[in-house]
Amino acid sequence: MLELVPLGVSAVVLVAYVAGVRRLRRRGDRWAAARTRCVVAATCCVAVADLPPVGNHDDVFAVHVAQHLLTAMVAPLLLALSGPVTLALRAAPTAVRKRLLRLLRSRPVGVLASPAAAVVLDVGGLYVVYLTGLYRAMESHEVLHAAVHLHMFLAGCLLAWVVVGIDPVRRHGTTVKLGTLVVVGAGHDTLPKLMYAHDLPVGAGTALARHVGAQLLYYGGTAVELVVAVVVMAQWWRATGRRLAHSARRGTPTRRGVSKSRVLPRVGCTDDPSAAIGGPASFIGRRVRSRPSGPGRPLRVGVVVADPVSSTRRRPRRGGGTATGPTRH
Amino acid sequence: MPSSRTVWSGVLSGIGLAAFVDETVFHQLLHWHHFYDRSTLTVGLVSDGLFHAGGFVSIVVGLFLRADAMRRGGFVPRRWWGAVLVGAGAFQLYDGLVQHKLFRLHQIRYHVTIWPYDVTWDVLAVVLVVVGAVLLATGRARSRQ
Repeated sequence: MLELVPLGVSAVVLVAYVAGVRRLRRRGDRWAAARTRCVVAATCCVAVADLPPVGNHDDVFAVHVAQHLLTAMVAPLLLALSGPVTLALRAAPTAVRKRLLRLLRSRPVGVLASPAAAVVLDVGGLYVVYLTGLYRAMESHEVLHAAVHLHMFLAGCLLAWVVVGIDPVRRHGTTVKLGTLVVVGAGHDTLPKLMYAHDLPVGAGTALARHVGAQLLYYGGTAVELVVAVVVMAQWWRATGRRLAHSARRGTPTRRGVSKSRVLPRVGCTDDPSAAIGGPASFIGRRVRSRPSGPGRPLRVGVVVADPVSSTRRRPRRGGGTATGPTRH
Repeated sequence: MPSSRTVWSGVLSGIGLAAFVDETVFHQLLHWHHFYDRSTLTVGLVSDGLFHAGGFVSIVVGLFLRADAMRRGGFVPRRWWGAVLVGAGAFQLYDGLVQHKLFRLHQIRYHVTIWPYDVTWDVLAVVLVVVGAVLLATGRARSRQ
C-alpha cells in the first residue's frame, strides 16, 4: 500500500488542480488547456508506474527502472510544466495565497530551489540507491521502499522546477538551467555505466537483469534529458519572441548589448492572442510564420540605445523576494 | 555584428556534431577509446558522461539559436555552415592536441602505431577549420553587399 504514496500525492494535486481551473473559469479567467493536459499526463505516468500490471512487478530490475523513469523524471517534468503553484496563487482564497507566498519566499524554499540542492538531492539520491546496499534493503522493507520512491519523486520535482518550472518560485537564467541539465545529464549517464561495469545494484537479480536495467536507465534517461533541453530552449525561444514583438511595437529593441542594428520582422511575433495563454507544450513551431514573407519588407530598427529600464535579461519575477540578482519592481 | 547569432549557432552545432560523431563512431561503434581512460575506469565514465550530455545540449542550443537568427532576419546560411565546420574542427583539434597529447587523457586507438592516427586526426581538424573559416569570410563579404 505504501508504494502508492506518490500516486496519492499526484492524485490530490490533480483534484486540487482541476478544482482551481474550474474556479478560474467560473470567474471568467483563462487557463491554458495545455497546462491542464500536462497535469493529467503526469498523474497518468505515476498511475501506470505504480498500479498493476507494472507496479506489481517491480522486483524485476528493468521494471523498477521503468518506474523510476516515469515517476522521477517524466511525471515531475510534466508537473513542473503545468504550473500548479501559479494556479494556486490565482485560484486560492486570499489567506491561503498569502501563506503560500510567505512559504515561497522563505529561506528553506529558496535553498531547496537552488540548482545545487536539486542536483545533490536527485542525482546524489540515485547514486546512493543504486551503488550502495540501499537497493537490496529497500526490496525487503516496505517503508524504506516507499520512502525511497517518494524521495525520488519529490527530488525529481525539485529538479524539474529548477530547470523547466514556470512557477514564480525562484527562476534561473537559461544558462544556469542548461548548466544544471548538463551536470545532471552527465551524472545520469555515468551511473548506468558504473552499474554495468561493477554489477550493481546488489540484489537486482541476475547479471542479465541488471544489465538490461542499466541500459534502460541510460537510454531512457538520455531521451528524457534531450526532451528537457528542447523544452528549456523552447521556453527561451518564446520569451525572446515576446521581447522581440514588444520591441517591434515600441520601435526600439529592449535588450542591450545584442547588436548595433537589427533587422526585425515586420510581422509581429506574438500578436497571436493564443500565444499569450498558450500552455508550455504548445510553443513548438508556433512562431514560424514570423519570418518576413510576401510583399512586406523587414523593418530596420536603428541603433540600440542602452535602455536602463530593461537591462535585465529576464522578465521580472512575479514571486519577487527570494530571487537573487537585479529585479525591477 | 548582425550575424553573430548565426556564428554562435553554427559553432555550438558544430561542437555538438563533432562530439556526437566521436561518441557514436569511436566510443560506441568501434570501442576504440573512451573520453578519458588513463585513470581509473570510473573517472573515464564520468568524463564520458559530461562529454555526452554537453554534446547533445549544444546541438539543441545551436539549432534554437539558428531558428532565432532566422526569425530576426539576420541569418546567413554560408556563415552558419562555416561556423559549423570551425566549431567541429576546433573541437577535434582541441581533442587531438590538448586532450590526447598535452593531458594524455586518452589516445585515439590502443595497441597500434599511434602517430598515423594522430596526424590524420589533426590534419582533418585543421582542414575543417580552414574550410569553415573560408566560408565564414566569404559569407561575410556577401552579406555586406
